[in-house]
Amino acid sequence: MKLRLAVSALLLLLAASPAAFAIQPGEMLSDPTLEARARTIDKELRCLVCQNQNIDESDADLAHDLRLLVRKRILAGDTNDQAKQFIVARYGNYVLLKPPFDAETYLLWFAPVLLLLGGAGIAFVFYRGAARAQPEPLSPEDKARIATLMGEEKGA
Amino acid sequence: MIAEVGLFALVLALFVALAQATIPLVGAARGDVVWMNVDRPAAFMQFCLVTLSFGCLIWLHVTSDFSVLNVVENSHTDKPLLYKITGVWGNHEGSMMLWTFILVLYGLAVSIFGRDLPPGLRSRALAVQGLIGFAFILFILFTSNPFTRVDPAPPNGQGLNPLLQDPGLAFHPPFLYLGYVGFSMAFSFAIAALIEGRIDAAWARWVRPWTLVAWCALTLGVAMGSWWSYYTLGWGGYWAWDPVENASLMPWLAGTALLHSCIVAEKRDTMKSWTIFLAIITFSLSLLGTFLVRSGVLTSVHSFASDPTRGIFILVLLAVFTGASLALYAWRAPALKPGGLFAPVSREGGLLFNNVILSTAAGTVLIGTLYPLFVDALKLGKISVGPPYFNTVMVPLMAPLLVLMAVGPLLSWKRGDLPAALSRLKFALGATVMTVVATLAVAGLGSRNVWAAVGLGLAAWLLVGSLTEWAGRVRLFRDSLAGSFHRAVHLPRSAWGMTISHAGLALVLIGVTGSLAWRTEYLKVMHPGETASIAGYDVRFLGVEDNVQGPNFTAVRARFIVTKDGRYIQELNPERRMYANPQQPLSTVAIHTTFVNDLYVVLGDPDASGGFVVHIFHNPLIPLLFFGAVVMVLGGIVSLTDRHHRVGAPLSKLARVPRPAFALSAAVPIAAAAPAQGRRRTGWKHVVPLAGFVVLVGFLLARLYLVEEGFAPNFIPSVMIDRAAPSFDLEPLVAGQPGLSSASLKGHLTLVNFFASWCGPCREEHPVLSQLPKSVDLVGISYKDRPEDARAWLSELGNPYKTIGIDLHGQTGLNFGVYGVPETYLIDKNGVIRFKQTGPLTPAVIKRELLPVIAGLK
Repeated sequence: MKLRLAVSALLLLLAASPAAFAIQPGEMLSDPTLEARARTIDKELRCLVCQNQNIDESDADLAHDLRLLVRKRILAGDTNDQAKQFIVARYGNYVLLKPPFDAETYLLWFAPVLLLLGGAGIAFVFYRGAARAQPEPLSPEDKARIATLMGEEKGA
Repeated sequence: MIAEVGLFALVLALFVALAQATIPLVGAARGDVVWMNVDRPAAFMQFCLVTLSFGCLIWLHVTSDFSVLNVVENSHTDKPLLYKITGVWGNHEGSMMLWTFILVLYGLAVSIFGRDLPPGLRSRALAVQGLIGFAFILFILFTSNPFTRVDPAPPNGQGLNPLLQDPGLAFHPPFLYLGYVGFSMAFSFAIAALIEGRIDAAWARWVRPWTLVAWCALTLGVAMGSWWSYYTLGWGGYWAWDPVENASLMPWLAGTALLHSCIVAEKRDTMKSWTIFLAIITFSLSLLGTFLVRSGVLTSVHSFASDPTRGIFILVLLAVFTGASLALYAWRAPALKPGGLFAPVSREGGLLFNNVILSTAAGTVLIGTLYPLFVDALKLGKISVGPPYFNTVMVPLMAPLLVLMAVGPLLSWKRGDLPAALSRLKFALGATVMTVVATLAVAGLGSRNVWAAVGLGLAAWLLVGSLTEWAGRVRLFRDSLAGSFHRAVHLPRSAWGMTISHAGLALVLIGVTGSLAWRTEYLKVMHPGETASIAGYDVRFLGVEDNVQGPNFTAVRARFIVTKDGRYIQELNPERRMYANPQQPLSTVAIHTTFVNDLYVVLGDPDASGGFVVHIFHNPLIPLLFFGAVVMVLGGIVSLTDRHHRVGAPLSKLARVPRPAFALSAAVPIAAAAPAQGRRRTGWKHVVPLAGFVVLVGFLLARLYLVEEGFAPNFIPSVMIDRAAPSFDLEPLVAGQPGLSSASLKGHLTLVNFFASWCGPCREEHPVLSQLPKSVDLVGISYKDRPEDARAWLSELGNPYKTIGIDLHGQTGLNFGVYGVPETYLIDKNGVIRFKQTGPLTPAVIKRELLPVIAGLK
């Protein structure tokens, strides 16, 4: 169960009871290493019936079933990826909180790089523009002329 | 009567806002001083009227006037007074009133402190503020009137969600809105400057303190929400990259960028067009956040009562304000004179780098938040973008910024000396190396510890680097102590503010690192007398006390004794409360804090054996995160007290002092280059943001339309279509019938219907099942239901199924990808799934979707 920062502050009308926690001791594997792996997987899978929670934090019945399924797959010898794929094969990529890197998500994964390049491009254009806007440094002749003019002004 | 006064005042405020939005603007265009001077009295009037209206609403809540719908829906006589007041903004209507109230408060501030502003700038800025006020009051009056009466008045109200009855959340919205709405100041001044076609150092000097005020408030608001979530929700975390959280982070990132670009605009009279752009974007992101939270276009755990009609209205507001200002920007920005030159390695260069990274971060959060909607709209399927994505992309993005944050302030303006700056950072480097080595030595060499060492090393670099800059300014150890003290006292407050804020960020970084790397937890059923050991603490469960009476709840209170090495530390009493009005459960968390680490205990459900599920977290370094956020805000406040930032800094001084920089750059070097430059700069690049925004609005509008049409954002299409149905072999529900197995379906066109007696929509669907075409076999799977309940249900409603299998634990359901009964799958003769209906079958669905598929299969 989590809602956390309520930006709008208000109204967190949640299906679940507040400050309960989803995963229950009875669901856990006795081997702490395997259980730790299961918890890691739980946190990367989205509960399908909740608004926006992972199955580790959800009180929903389906989340409970999925947690048990994850543990069953681990006991069956699946790697973390295989266990996740087992669920993806049934529920689709929607369950993955970290979307896979494929044709649908290239834009998502490349977005930070593209934005950064765009920002760098703007900065570059800005420098170039600013540099063009600056005058050439004074040539020795100009400096000499200024000195002369200044001298004249003083003299006048 | 009070409600009518409030409503009437609000209607009057609408007209005053309209006057404020138009008369000064026309006056400024014509140079008519009388018309221009309408701005300040109008802002004052608008403030009085909105305050009166907002005051009426508060009064109605405090006095529990249940003839007003808003009070009925959100209040109750038993509620403590504090929450009667803060409950005013604990709902959509009231929160919009708070929004508007804060807006007019800022308007009043301009009219008071802005007496000495150039009149054209002030009139135009106040006019824009008036326009924003007009739009929001109109929004309230047309879609969200908080003064609606109910007749007959109920004897009592429905109360407030107990989660909101908490001081952390009571004050979170006001600060958040002070932040969001505060950015409207920078926005209004940006628009005023674009209309005037002129922006100079005085402009930036005016915008800076307002941006700083908004930034402080927003930082505090976000931190408060995060803290609230941490100490009340019992999940041990503080940030989950939820869309609604992201909605507050985007303006924060953009606002932080704006804060820094204002400095360049003011000190060096450059990056002005960019600063204007950021001012527009920051406020637009605030509006976008408001839209996302209230329109129902995306799913979030923080669901505001979402309403597409309101969504349309806010989207129109967003489209008008942002669209018009980006258009104005595209039109006018090319005419803004470019500013002074600086080398890439310089203070400006560092701040530009800051802006590039922060804007990229804001853009990334925006894309990550909206991406699932785009994918869905393009019919590419459903995807989720959650915390693992954001953590993956944001960490490498922000790390370089943190590295350079220590360097930037050491560079001088225009052209910095990088080797000299780096040589001054030798202490910071030493501290970083020592931190990394010490972390690894103490914690060991796991991959987590390596990441943690990098995080802490970065924090040490930033902390010591910031202090180095400060030490250099006060000539610490290079002058006598007295001399350094003298310098410290006379150091500009803005310099102090920067050091403090940057140091605060280092603390936040330490907290984030600790919570990501070293959080440990304990989760077990504990019986009275048992002891849990976690992170060196022994937590002994003494038992629970029933029926503890609170003001509007009863609680089960647990007693835990925390000891460390046999030494008594503290008793912790987490509770499970049941609130009376509304009837809602709430667990409270008990925390033992050392101000560096937290021991965090949550009491869960009782089990049959007399024990309780107990969840204990050890959260190392988390308190530093919240403390760091407060330090950042403190830095902002210190900076605000700088003489330089005093918003009332008189015009005469402004006119005398900062103009030369502007005059020089404008008059001397650019004069020659400007004409050609001006033509070249009126290119396409200033139009790009507008084009992007038009696409975004069009897309959001389409999405909103779909939501209004009844399209459910959380509908997930099945990936099982055109794949072989999973194999299963289920016991029969009805004695004497054969069981149900995948093998028995071969050779027939079959509809497999998952149902349960506990499922409401199944009851609604049931009569439709007997109207299915006879060419299809209908079989049922009793999903996670007690067989006797299912049988009773069927004998009550009739049994339309050929056979029924029992899926007691939902295993078969999981294999089919069932996520909510009723669900129905069409399986062809070869055992391939051809169609899936999520939710009840209706005659319309059968006719429009199912029958064509069946016809296609024949």
